[in-house]
Amino acid sequence: MADADAVLTVHNVSKRYADVFAVESISMAAPRNSVVGIVGENGAGKSTLFNIMSGLVRPDTGRIELNGREIRPANYREATLLGISRVFQEQALIPNIPVYENIVLSYEDRFVRWGQLLDIGRMVEVAERVVSAFGLDIDVRRRTSDYPFSIRQAIEIARACLVSQELLGIQYPIVLLDEPTSALGRGEEEAFFRLIAKIKQHGTVLFVSHRLSEVLAVSDIIYVLKDGHLIATVDPADATEHVLHGLMVGRERDADYYHEAEQLDVSEAPPVFSVAGLCKTGEYQDVALQVRRGEVLGIGGLLDSGKSALGKGASGVVAPDAGTVAVSGARPISPNLGHLVRRGLGYVPAERHTEGMIVDFSVAWNISLASGADLFSSRFGIWRRNREAEVAKHYVELLHIKASDIATVCSTLSGGNQQKVVLAKWLCRTPKVLILDNPTRGVDAGAKEELYRLIRELTGSGLGVLLITDDLLELIGLSNRVVIMQHGRVTAVVDAPPGAKPTERDLVALMVGANVTTEVSASPNRRTLH
Amino acid sequence: MTSKKSTTSTQLWPATLLRARIGMWLPLVVVCALVIFFHMGSPAFLTLRNLSAVSGQASTLLLASTGATFVILMGSIDLSVGAITLLVGAVTVMLLRALGLGVSALLVGIMLGASFGMVNGLIFAFGAIPSFVVTLGSLSMYTGLAWQLLQGRALSLNSPAFENLAIGQSVPYFPNIALFALGAWLFMTFVCFKTRFGRYMYIIGGGESVARNAGIPVRRYKIFAFILSGAMAGLAGALAVARLGAAGPTLGTDLLLNTLAAIVVGGTSLSGGVGGVQRTLIGVLIITLLDNGLNLMDVNQYVQNVIKGAVVIAAVLISQDRRKLTVMK
Repeated sequence: MADADAVLTVHNVSKRYADVFAVESISMAAPRNSVVGIVGENGAGKSTLFNIMSGLVRPDTGRIELNGREIRPANYREATLLGISRVFQEQALIPNIPVYENIVLSYEDRFVRWGQLLDIGRMVEVAERVVSAFGLDIDVRRRTSDYPFSIRQAIEIARACLVSQELLGIQYPIVLLDEPTSALGRGEEEAFFRLIAKIKQHGTVLFVSHRLSEVLAVSDIIYVLKDGHLIATVDPADATEHVLHGLMVGRERDADYYHEAEQLDVSEAPPVFSVAGLCKTGEYQDVALQVRRGEVLGIGGLLDSGKSALGKGASGVVAPDAGTVAVSGARPISPNLGHLVRRGLGYVPAERHTEGMIVDFSVAWNISLASGADLFSSRFGIWRRNREAEVAKHYVELLHIKASDIATVCSTLSGGNQQKVVLAKWLCRTPKVLILDNPTRGVDAGAKEELYRLIRELTGSGLGVLLITDDLLELIGLSNRVVIMQHGRVTAVVDAPPGAKPTERDLVALMVGANVTTEVSASPNRRTLH
Repeated sequence: MTSKKSTTSTQLWPATLLRARIGMWLPLVVVCALVIFFHMGSPAFLTLRNLSAVSGQASTLLLASTGATFVILMGSIDLSVGAITLLVGAVTVMLLRALGLGVSALLVGIMLGASFGMVNGLIFAFGAIPSFVVTLGSLSMYTGLAWQLLQGRALSLNSPAFENLAIGQSVPYFPNIALFALGAWLFMTFVCFKTRFGRYMYIIGGGESVARNAGIPVRRYKIFAFILSGAMAGLAGALAVARLGAAGPTLGTDLLLNTLAAIVVGGTSLSGGVGGVQRTLIGVLIITLLDNGLNLMDVNQYVQNVIKGAVVIAAVLISQDRRKLTVMK
């Protein structure tokens, strides 16, 4: 495994959180002056792997070697001193200071003279050497925020790559790039590729991205992760996007888990929620869809597809620029959550702890949270505590929420029970339609199944559900129809009747933009299985 | 068996809850301790005469603090309470002198205060500026306006009926202003616990984005809270000038520190969502007893300030869960 060329090698590294392996016995090698692509679905273990390499997480077992010597960085700082730097998804440059200060950030102690004074001249000199070695034509004395995003990203990558060479004398720096292109516009990618080629001259790049075409284009070797395991090592020369996807997904879906047999035929049912012409600049464009009575309409798409933003827009949490929504037969209105709630809509946001519920409040207070204007207060604004307690008790029993009583503080509940409380908040209003954004995120498998059963029961009694989810199996298993979004537009609608569900591969192909779904899966001889 | 029980009971009270318990009872313990301490320190302290005076002093603070508690409860801050008290006091006196309004000046005071509060609320809610900044600015504006009106002098009023609202004693030894204050406090406690408005204050303070994601009209209720805070400060201002028989440039200056101190010492958290109006009464008692007792014990004014400040900091140190304290909204 470990070849002589390898700068960074990982041997049998495992990391477990509670009962779940985030990564399990992963071994890989990153050769000198090369680009190593790492791909996998959300939760495949890519970030954990990067966290281990950059000292943010300690592996339970296994070891990492740098130039043949074992390293154990205790934190990010130690990792950078060893020559491993990371460029995070969100930019880590401080916008309101000059570029050169950002470049030597955290290395200021190397520029001190006469006790405490900083040698600004030398800082600028080093910074200039770093940017010019990268072919960047910028004035390092200017404020960082004066430069556009792509330049700032280049500065950050240059810093990660060269400062360790410049100041620490590291010969072959390692740069970990975590989704570096997700915030780049299409036109800026070219510059990014040139950047990658630059780093390659100086050191080694490990590159995580959801954009498989980019990974294929720049990588010398690609590791595919799935559920914490390294399942394939792929040579990009003879692989395609579809081959990679086939390796990444391809999990077995259990029809019982999603209660697919209970899925209703809603082809004749009337719509309970209609969206027309919904637009928001930079998020989603001209979206129209209809959720029928008793239907689960799934929305799938990559991270930049705009599906979550669409959920916020359709519910009126964040007002869209244009477009209308209508609940049941009511008059179409410009989305406003307060109005839509009164008409029978509920919205469950993806961030449960910060947007879905107040974890410091009791179960009862959280259940009554959205109904203060009608159910739980009288005409004169007097709060109805007794009714609040009754309703809360009813839903704690009905949904089997594991809480000792309705005064239990929600922070003490498990993720699944918390999500049930969030659902009860809407269910007590007997809604006609619910918009669910990743409703089972951070919920364990058993509780997930319970939530799926609940969704089936609710749709069975006529509720319409708009399900936005990153979990492909959930999307396929629960949905009657699947809407695919790409760059803010609806690009496909796929029927998903029980017994004839689309496969993950079909959907992924649509999400990444290929118009055909006929691609064959990876042939065994292309894999190097571990 | 017994040992098993005790372990479960300790598990039921993890550190944070225990802290919450301490936060709940500590203020009451402090009031008792202060009463005992000052009783031993000064024979004049526990006399009907003095307690009557204390209740008069406490009333202005209690009136102003009950309204401001709602603003703190929703995670914002109102620094302009004292300035509104001063400005409303000044305007009320001028109106009384010019128009001879009599008792109805009280209503005018409330309305004026409410509109000054509404200005705060509108700028805060629509301008999306931190309440700290908005009310710091209006604190200066309202104070300046009041001084301009008063021209740096104290204006006395001559309306026995109006003055009687504050200094008359319908209950012996208990000035009417204290009845107003207690009544207002009771009513606001009811509002805090038994109304939609009160509940929304907790919800906005506990999680503003959660409130938004539930369709609660957050902006409107933010404005309501500032209107209420202003109205109570206006009532405090009108009754304060009735009690003093004049409006002077120093009216309400001590309220800036004292309202915040009373609310926080009482146990309402600056991070929002925790506490309640009922607690503010205890906070007001602590602050007022400190002022009065230290005076009686002949502690000089400067040292008094040092002690009061230390008490406020100590109260917050002991009772609040500081991990949750984020930047003030």
